[in-house]
Amino acid sequence: MKHFIKSLLLFLPLMLISYIVLVFLWGYFVPSFFEHNLKFRIGTNGHLNSRLKEVKQSSEVDILFLGSSHTYRGFDTRVFNKHGYSSFNLGSSSQTPLQTQLLLDKHLTSLNPKLIIYEVYPKTFEIDGVESSLDIISNDNFDISSIIMSIKLNNIKVYNTLIYAFFMDILKVNANYKEPYARGNDTYISGGFVQKNISYFNNNEKYEPNIWVLDEKQIKRFENILTILKKKNIELILVQAPITSSLYKSYSNNNYFDSLIVSKHNKYYNFNEILNLNDSLHFYDSHHLNQSGVELFNIKLIEILRMNNLKINKTLNK
Amino acid sequence: MLFNSIDFAIFLPLVFLFYWFVSNRNLKFQNLIIVAASYLFYGWWDWRFLSLILFSTIIDFFVGLGLKNESNQSKRKILIWTSILVNLGFLGFFKYYNFFLDNFISAFSFFGSEINVSSLNIILPVGISFYTFQTMSYSIDVYKRKLEPSSDFIAFSAFVCFFPQLVAGPIERASNLLPQFYSKRNFIYSKAIDGLRQILWGLFKKIVIADNCAEYANAIFNNSSDYSGSTLLLGALLFSFQIYGDFSGYSDIAIGTSRLFGFDLMRNFAFPYFSRDIAEFWRRWHISLSTWFRDYLYIPLGGSKGGIWMKIRNTFIIFIVSGFWHGANWTFIVWGALNALYFLPLLLTNNNRNNLHTIADGKFLPSLKEFSLMLLTFTLTVFAWIFFRSENMSHAISIIGEIFSNSLFAIPEIRPRTTIILLVLFILIEWLGRDSQFALAPIQNMFNRPVRWAVYTFIVFLIGMFMQTEETPFIYFQF
Repeated sequence: MKHFIKSLLLFLPLMLISYIVLVFLWGYFVPSFFEHNLKFRIGTNGHLNSRLKEVKQSSEVDILFLGSSHTYRGFDTRVFNKHGYSSFNLGSSSQTPLQTQLLLDKHLTSLNPKLIIYEVYPKTFEIDGVESSLDIISNDNFDISSIIMSIKLNNIKVYNTLIYAFFMDILKVNANYKEPYARGNDTYISGGFVQKNISYFNNNEKYEPNIWVLDEKQIKRFENILTILKKKNIELILVQAPITSSLYKSYSNNNYFDSLIVSKHNKYYNFNEILNLNDSLHFYDSHHLNQSGVELFNIKLIEILRMNNLKINKTLNK
Repeated sequence: MLFNSIDFAIFLPLVFLFYWFVSNRNLKFQNLIIVAASYLFYGWWDWRFLSLILFSTIIDFFVGLGLKNESNQSKRKILIWTSILVNLGFLGFFKYYNFFLDNFISAFSFFGSEINVSSLNIILPVGISFYTFQTMSYSIDVYKRKLEPSSDFIAFSAFVCFFPQLVAGPIERASNLLPQFYSKRNFIYSKAIDGLRQILWGLFKKIVIADNCAEYANAIFNNSSDYSGSTLLLGALLFSFQIYGDFSGYSDIAIGTSRLFGFDLMRNFAFPYFSRDIAEFWRRWHISLSTWFRDYLYIPLGGSKGGIWMKIRNTFIIFIVSGFWHGANWTFIVWGALNALYFLPLLLTNNNRNNLHTIADGKFLPSLKEFSLMLLTFTLTVFAWIFFRSENMSHAISIIGEIFSNSLFAIPEIRPRTTIILLVLFILIEWLGRDSQFALAPIQNMFNRPVRWAVYTFIVFLIGMFMQTEETPFIYFQF
C-alpha cells in the first residue's frame, strides 16, 4: 500500500506538469481543427484585443460601459463625447457577469468612472460564459484574475486555453501583435466602440415562441457586482439595449426579467420598451443596431442621464 | 453519481482511504463501508429508490435462508417465485407498465374498442434491470442448491449494492462475487495498478470515444430527415462506436474500481467488433447478460437440445427477451429478433462455435478471409444498431430506406474529422491489445515505467483535449 501511495504521489505531479507542457506543444504545433478543447484566438471578432490594449493606456473617464456585444456595438463613445461625457466601452462578446467582474477587478481603479452603464441582456444570464472567457483569456495578459475566473468556470476548455495563454505570455509570442482597426464591415473606434458599416437588416427569420431561462449562478454573480459598486459608491445605471422587436416579442417572459433586474437595482431602463425602432432600418442583424440605430439609442440614453439627478451631471454643470 | 464526474473523482479516493485505512482491514467493517458508500453512490441520483434496493435485498436474503431450511418442494417453489415476482414486479412496473398499457390500448383500438386509461409518469430507477437480475440469480442458484445462502446480511447487502457495478453491471453471478465478501481482502499492488490502468482506459473510451461519437450520432439520428443516406450510414457507424465505448468503458471502470478494493468482477466485453461471426460477437458483447440469459433462460428452456424447432424457438426467445430487457420499445425487440436471425444459420449448421480463439492469433494482421468475415459481422451489427438507436419503428425504417437509396453515394453533410482520427487511434490500440483483458493491459509487460507513465499521461491529455465539457450519462443507465 505504501508503495502504491508513493507511486501515485510521484506520478500525479509529474503528469500535471507534463500535461501543461503538452497543452502548449499541442496548441502550437497541431492544426487548429484538432484542438477540440483549446480555443486561443487572438484578434477575434469584436476587437477585444484593441480594446484591452487601449484600456491599459486610458485614465479617468466619466462613464464606463460594460456588457455584451450590444455594448461595444451599441454605445458609441463619440456620441457621448460630443455631449460632454468622456467614456470607455469595455464590452466583450457574450460578456456574462463573471467576465464583467473580471474586467472591473482589472480596470475599475484606473478608469475611476463616475457612472457605470451596465448593459444587461437576458441571454448573458442564461449562458455559462465559457466562450466569452476564452475571448478574454486569448486577448488579455495572463494574470491572477484570469486564473480565478477559470476556476469559477471550472471548464476544461477554459483551463487548456489558460495554460496556452500562460506560455504565449511568458514567451512573448504575440508581443508584437497589432490588431487591424478595420476588418470586414467592422471598424474599431478609439474608446472601445465598434462601428458596423451595414445599413439595413433584411429580416426573413421567424422566431419560435421562447422564454428566458436564467442561471441562478449568473444572477448571484450579478448581485455580487452590484454590491461591489455600491461599496465603492459608484453610480450605476442598468440598461437593456434594443434588439429587433420580432426577436424581443418572441420571448414571452420579458416582464419577468425586467422585474427581476428592478428588484436588484431600481435604475434600470429597457430600451425595447422605450424606443420604437424599425427592425429593418435600425438594425444590421436580429440583435445589433446599425449606426443610425446606435445614434438614436445613445441620444435617448443621454436624455435619460440628463433627467436623472446624477453626480456626473453635477460635475458637468460645474 | 457518474463515473465521469468530479463527484466520483472525490468520492472514490475517500472511500478507498476509509476502506483500507480506517477500517483497520476488519472484514465486517469493510463490508459495512461498501454498503454505506454504495447507498450514498446510488442515493446521489435519487435517494427514494434506495428503498427498492433495500426491499429487494431483504426479500432475497430471507428467501435464501428459507430455501436452505425448507425441504418441502412446494414451499421452496413458493419462496423462489416470491423472489422472482418481487424482482420482476419492480422491473415490470417501473420499466414496462406504460409499454404494455399503450400496446393494450392500441390493440383494443385496432378492434374498434376505445378504452380510456392514462399512462403513469413513472421515473425509471437507474440500473434496476441490473441489480434485479443479479439478486434473482442468487435466489435461483440457492433454489437449485448450487449455492449456499448467505447468513451475513451485511455481506449480502454489499453483494447486491456493490457500487462499481450496481447501475450498469457487469451482472455478477452470486457464486463469483458473494464469496469474495466473506474472505479477507489483501491489498495487492499489481492488482490495484492494473485496476487504475483499466479505469483510465474506460474513461478514455467513454469520455473521448463515446461522447465524441455521440455528438454526431445524436445530431444525425435526431434530425435524420435532413440527411442523406451516406450521412445516416455515418451516424449508424458512429453510434456503433458510441455504444461500445460507452458501455465497455463503463464496464472497464467498474472492473478497475473493484480491483482497487480487492475484488475481481467478471469480464463484460472482449473486443466484440473484431468478431468473425455473430455467435462470436455474442460471446464477446455484454458477456454477463448473455451468459445470464444462457444460464437462467436458454438452458432451462432446453437450450440447443431437442429438435430443430426447439432450437429456433429458444434462440428467438433468448434474443427477443434480451432485446426487451434493454427497453420497453418495439425497436429493441426487433433488434433482438434481428440478432436471432443472424445467429440461427450458425446454430442450425453447427457453426456457432467456430471462432473461439482471438482473431489473427499471434499475427499482426488478419488474413483476407478473417478480415472479410469481421467486416461482414460488423456490418450486420451496425445494421441492427439502427433499430436499437431509433426512436420508433417508423424512424428506423425511414433511416434504412434513405441508406438504401441513391443518396448513399452523396458526400456526407457531416464530416467529423477529429472524431474519425480519434477512432482510428482507438481501433489501433484495441487491435494491438485484443489478446488481453483490456486494450491497455499489455503495456505492463511491454514497457518500462517511464514509458508506461508517458502513455498514461498522453491518455489523460487526450481526455483533457477531447472530452465534452458537459458530463454525459452512460447509455446503459437507462436500461
